[in-house]
Amino acid sequence: MSNTGLRITNLHSSVDGNEILKGIDLVVERGKVHALMGPNGSGKSTLAFSLTGHPKYDVTSGTATLDGEDLLGLSPDKRARAGLFLSFQYPSAIPGVKVPNFLYAARQAVRPGELTPAKFRAQLLSMMDVLGMDPSFLGRYLNDGFSGGEKKRLEMLQMAMLAPKYAILDETDSGLDIDALKDVSESVKALRASDEGAATGFLIITHYPRILEHITPDVVHVMIDGRIVKTGDAELAHRIEREGYDVIREETGAVA
Amino acid sequence: MPEVLETEREAALERFRSTPSGREKTGRFWKIDIETLVPPSFPHGEAGGAVAFASAPPRAIVCDLATAKREHGALLERALGQAVDANRKFVQLTRAFARLGAFVYLPADCSVGEPIEISYSAGEGEAIFPYTVVLAERGARATVVERLQLGTGAFVCGIAEIVTEAHAEIAYASAQFAPLDARVIFTRAAISGRDATVRWSNAEIGAALSLADVGVRLEQPGARAQVATLFFPGSSQHVDVVSAIDHVVGDTTSETLVKSAANGAGQGRYLGTIRIAAHAQHSEAMLRDDALLLSEGAHIDSVPALEIAANDVKAFHGATVGALDDEAIFYIGTRGIERAEAERMIALAFFEPVIDRFPAVLHQELREALVRKVASA
Repeated sequence: MSNTGLRITNLHSSVDGNEILKGIDLVVERGKVHALMGPNGSGKSTLAFSLTGHPKYDVTSGTATLDGEDLLGLSPDKRARAGLFLSFQYPSAIPGVKVPNFLYAARQAVRPGELTPAKFRAQLLSMMDVLGMDPSFLGRYLNDGFSGGEKKRLEMLQMAMLAPKYAILDETDSGLDIDALKDVSESVKALRASDEGAATGFLIITHYPRILEHITPDVVHVMIDGRIVKTGDAELAHRIEREGYDVIREETGAVA
Repeated sequence: MPEVLETEREAALERFRSTPSGREKTGRFWKIDIETLVPPSFPHGEAGGAVAFASAPPRAIVCDLATAKREHGALLERALGQAVDANRKFVQLTRAFARLGAFVYLPADCSVGEPIEISYSAGEGEAIFPYTVVLAERGARATVVERLQLGTGAFVCGIAEIVTEAHAEIAYASAQFAPLDARVIFTRAAISGRDATVRWSNAEIGAALSLADVGVRLEQPGARAQVATLFFPGSSQHVDVVSAIDHVVGDTTSETLVKSAANGAGQGRYLGTIRIAAHAQHSEAMLRDDALLLSEGAHIDSVPALEIAANDVKAFHGATVGALDDEAIFYIGTRGIERAEAERMIALAFFEPVIDRFPAVLHQELREALVRKVASA
């Protein structure tokens, strides 16, 4: 398979029979950072869940391929093994499953046999350091009793340890204080600086342009009402910060 | 074992037959009639089965019941029949036949590090009536692990009884992985003395029918009880667990933790009672029970009952019955882990808090048994 990108073509998706995505066209190239911005309810998270195969999201038409491989016919675990990662806005707590055991099982599922347990552990500790995570995290259960910031850090830790071909960050910045936001941004930079993650393509879903001050996007898309209504460079994010979504809405004739 | 005269045995058997169990009746889900339950054949003469245990730690006594009766009669009498309710249906059955048994005696301040293992065995189609008695004197500490080695179709109706004196601490664990056509009935009763602790942990994994009745009477201030139960009926297995904690006096503490799952057409029932007597002020009781249903045909009834007559107590109770969390399965799936593996992971994780309450020597065995149970859905 060639590195033809995460290619989404005319994607329509429904939840409980209500169409949320009304034809999305988007290509995220390897090694590039795309930002997907939009007001609440515009369908950004629906795109993330439709791509990763959440059973409640029904893709009614369109295609999505990852470096040429059809994603939509695959189960969520196979999409992950194809190289897709989603950082959840609200990850599940799974009491009884220890963080390092889970990370190792996931790493083995996605990239079997590449890392010895010792190397895995060294990489894990070094990435936890980047994320400002105390080693005591290793004794805790997955997201169990985690604060909002801890959950987001653990999502980023998983992303870094799995080194996916394409990573979708669904509002990973929301609810974070300045320090946590900086740690999250550092982890993205650390992944991009690593051998494994140098070619990772990012789709950063965000409501606010704040995170984009730390990670400069190559491309910025604006989604309103289930459609991408505008695409531009990093300057578009600054415009949204200054002018808000309403100006874009009026300019593009998008209906709320 | 104490010689039970034939006439006494007949009388005990008659009382067994005429005493109602008070347990689950047959219905839409529960298919086994407990009231008419009898052993496959009543043993005559020398009963079968065997008891085995390692040699006793220094100062302690670990012996079979016949030896205890002969050589340590006065000690045995301080515990035998003290905690168990002689009027219960299955207690009467065990007492009518019990020749097989073990006595564990821990003198004052005797502290035993390694678990004391007691193993009862029964051959194919054999009925055994094991009776374990533990007496822990002031400040003594030990862990007892009871195992069953059963042939197919075996029938077990047993008792375990613990008496702890002041500041003593006894943990008693049992885990049965009996053949799927065996029947295992156990009554486990304990008395916790002043500032003493009794910890029961029992796992009901095997057997066509498993009845477990676990109780602690907190009779002196500072007494503590901990009950941890894990059960998992699959295929057409039936499991009925009853726990009862009696806060007879005040300033006593109890904690009951029950985790169960069922798959196939497995049927489970849990009745958990906490009783706090009228004058038992400043008692604290916690009862937590969670059930996980892994198939359409599986069924678990959970009935917690708090009977609180005192007004200055802390009592907490929480119960859940549910299926596997689809969101969690999806989340794990997005990390590349297959659905079956995700389900296994979540189900095992669900049991971890209760596995933690068992002595470490049983942890791996329990986890492996649970993996097999989850996979057999």
